[in-house]
Amino acid sequence: MLWRGLLAFLLLLTPLTARAAVFYPTSFTLANGLQIIVVPNHLAPAVNQMVWYKVGSADEVPNKTGLAHYLEHLMFRGTEGMGPGEFSKTIAAQGGDDNAFTAYDYTAFHETVAADRLPMIMQMEADRMQNLRIMPETATPELSVVLDERQQRTDNDPDGRFEEKLRHLLMPHYPYGVPVIGWRQEIEKLTASDATDFYKRHYAPNNAVVIISGDVTPDKVMRMAASIYGPLERHDVTERRPLPPPPNPVQHRFVMVDVGVEQAELQWQVVVPSYNTQKGQEAYAYEVLAEALDSGEIGVLYRKLVAEQGVASGIETSYDPDARGPALFTIALTPHPGKKPEQLEKALRDALQDLAQHGLDAKLIEDTKERLQREAIFARDSLMMPGYAFGMAITTGHTVTDVEEWPDRIKAVTPEAVNAALTDLVANPHSITGLLLPDAHASKAAREAAHPVLSHDMGIR
Amino acid sequence: MKNIFPMFVLLLLTLTATSAHAVNIQEVTSNSGIKAWLVEDHKLPLISMHFAFRGGVEQDPVAKQGLANLTMNLLTEGAGPYDAAAFQQQLADHSVALNFEASRDALLGSIKTLTTDKEKAFELLHLALTAPRFDKNEVERVRNQQLAALRNQLGSPGWQVRYALFQRIFGSHPYGERRLGSTETLASLTRADIKAFAASHLARDNLMVSVAGDVTPKELAALLDQIFGDLPKDSKLEPISEVVWPQEPTIILVPREGTQTELLFAMPGPKREDPDWYAAEIANYILGGGGFSSRLMQDVREKKGLTYGISTGLSPMEHGAVIIGQAATDNAKTGQAWDIAEDTMHRFYQDGVTEKELESAKDYLTGALPLEMTSTDKISGVLIDLQLEYSGRDYLDRRNDLIRNVTTDDVERVIHRWFNPEGLTLGMVGRPEGVIPTKTEDPVHN
Repeated sequence: MLWRGLLAFLLLLTPLTARAAVFYPTSFTLANGLQIIVVPNHLAPAVNQMVWYKVGSADEVPNKTGLAHYLEHLMFRGTEGMGPGEFSKTIAAQGGDDNAFTAYDYTAFHETVAADRLPMIMQMEADRMQNLRIMPETATPELSVVLDERQQRTDNDPDGRFEEKLRHLLMPHYPYGVPVIGWRQEIEKLTASDATDFYKRHYAPNNAVVIISGDVTPDKVMRMAASIYGPLERHDVTERRPLPPPPNPVQHRFVMVDVGVEQAELQWQVVVPSYNTQKGQEAYAYEVLAEALDSGEIGVLYRKLVAEQGVASGIETSYDPDARGPALFTIALTPHPGKKPEQLEKALRDALQDLAQHGLDAKLIEDTKERLQREAIFARDSLMMPGYAFGMAITTGHTVTDVEEWPDRIKAVTPEAVNAALTDLVANPHSITGLLLPDAHASKAAREAAHPVLSHDMGIR
Repeated sequence: MKNIFPMFVLLLLTLTATSAHAVNIQEVTSNSGIKAWLVEDHKLPLISMHFAFRGGVEQDPVAKQGLANLTMNLLTEGAGPYDAAAFQQQLADHSVALNFEASRDALLGSIKTLTTDKEKAFELLHLALTAPRFDKNEVERVRNQQLAALRNQLGSPGWQVRYALFQRIFGSHPYGERRLGSTETLASLTRADIKAFAASHLARDNLMVSVAGDVTPKELAALLDQIFGDLPKDSKLEPISEVVWPQEPTIILVPREGTQTELLFAMPGPKREDPDWYAAEIANYILGGGGFSSRLMQDVREKKGLTYGISTGLSPMEHGAVIIGQAATDNAKTGQAWDIAEDTMHRFYQDGVTEKELESAKDYLTGALPLEMTSTDKISGVLIDLQLEYSGRDYLDRRNDLIRNVTTDDVERVIHRWFNPEGLTLGMVGRPEGVIPTKTEDPVHN
């Protein structure tokens, strides 16, 4: 009886009750500590697997920034049984698709293949969860690739440099103030043994979660997972240290002039509570607020600043509460052609003050909540959405229930709570205003001065 | 774990054939004769529709570049009884995602709605297509948004090199034109231009529709007339000539401060209806289309670490076709990276491909398409692409055989026809060392 034998690997089985929910998953945990979440989706004969490790750049030690991301790259460079680069080749040979990403709080790997190839990709992830081989001859060229990536994303892109600088000024001496990809001088010094060490300290079944979404049934996945992931050995990983106390509030203003920029941009970033750092349920109120301020062209700020006052030509608000530490509430604006960015800066401040003073209309808040709750249905029409939602929640200390109850929690947000979040946002003592400005008419000397050599640029640390 | 590895090998050996994928595409015809492709699926209470009108950015007159794009962006800015704000409010209140865009050869639209809100959703779509208001204030607002997008583009090295390269290979052909226009052409567009463009390009004779999700063929037939039935029967499209490829190969440089050089290279390629299309897709996959498995990625990234990415792609258009390649590398290493890339391309041209590479490419290409169709909007999106490239409704059933039947001889033939690196035009933006340009262009600033 294969089935009975496999049950030994199953520690916990949680079928969730069907109420107002999002993905209706089945979640279970193997005896080795690996959590598996299954979301059936029978629209196409495809399956997506995401493996999330509870480690990100915020878990790096001093002087080794970029190590989490470097290791993510090296996860494709071979195991005891698989040659460098063979992982992606094997997936491609099935018409499949694979990739990975690193963030402050997590590192994730994902594959999409035909549904009957699920055992294959489970084998491959199980293999590199325990048998990764990091060799200097592949690790060295991969470090150059990472440096090229940093060049492409940040060093050679004014927007990238601008974002990096804003983050760093807003949260100096805090892990979230360091770019995920790392500081150039520190990346350059990373070695194969640093990566091996990091792998041993953080990569283990008991420090990961696997989400399977697609044309599968929970029963079969459970059996498959138990036989493939079950035999992996649990081992001690470095205890995730709590993030340092929140960074000291600062109110910054930063202006960057760059000859590579043609269109000015204004950003206002505010440090606000996340799901983890909230005292009550205010993160949900911030989610409603973000949607109310910027929901396409009916957003309150869009109506005011773009349609009525004509000081901006575009606006984008973002708020991502899935973080172990604090979250950022960001409003990015494009000035209307012919208007000075400083004018827009004042208009934004005035508009927010005004909104905070009068409060957002209760009906508008109810409509916004309705819209957000309906998003849950659209989220089901996606193969990868379950992986993202559960992966982010669980690696930042939350649960399947937190994801499934999201529509109910949005529903429970009161207009008072949204207006309180707005008042707090406006009065928040921890923020940065950044202006990215073009310099098309500067002299050649001024242009060159505006392009400091990168090592200087990064030398602020 | 020692017992992991043997099981792993076993699984790899037993799972090499790609599973068949049957998508049932129905053709639905309305009373008035409007046709649509439908993949009916009632699992989720959602409907996704994609539609396209042939004739896109290429239709912009030279002095009115940016017109197609501006017109499409204005369709959701007020129609019938609703001004822009009211129209947008209706969309939001009913959670309707309605989008329009202008592509090179077609005007594209898509709508996604919950089944519960379908009536309102399709009423709004009908109004957007047949009664757009183009109110003066909204024209100015959306023009300014397009101007901001244009300035963003002007500052982007990727766009700068693309524009310089396209100017070179397309010359005065409409494919060399700018989707967002220039500051001058964009400022010159009038409400009358916009109305005339919509009237002559949104019609029933150049329309294609595809739908996926919670709708029956009968319902859809009625919807087609309700949504599109009031459009004029005939479009009035400007005839577009075929692209004539420039004779001498060129290396163009757009100087730009910074640490990195972006490279873009182009060769004439196959059009979609060419009988050798599938062999060309395979050749491209092996050379640079196959992500980490491609020869260029292996040689330039995996072995040498000289780039974060290098790739090639086939870009078939209505009136011409190119093979486009791109890479980015450190300024100081540009010469080294390009030497390796050129060498890889020369060896590819001279030696062709191996049986093993051919098989891997076939495995990928036959397996990949079904995996793209994983949501209702992705399904309707794939179906509209198939219609735009003149594939029949039975294409998904035939495609695997078309790919499987390609031989190494076929691939060798297409490599000699299209993949000769001697004939490529190279564009660079940055301060590259080690590659000498034959032509230096000033960056465009308006």
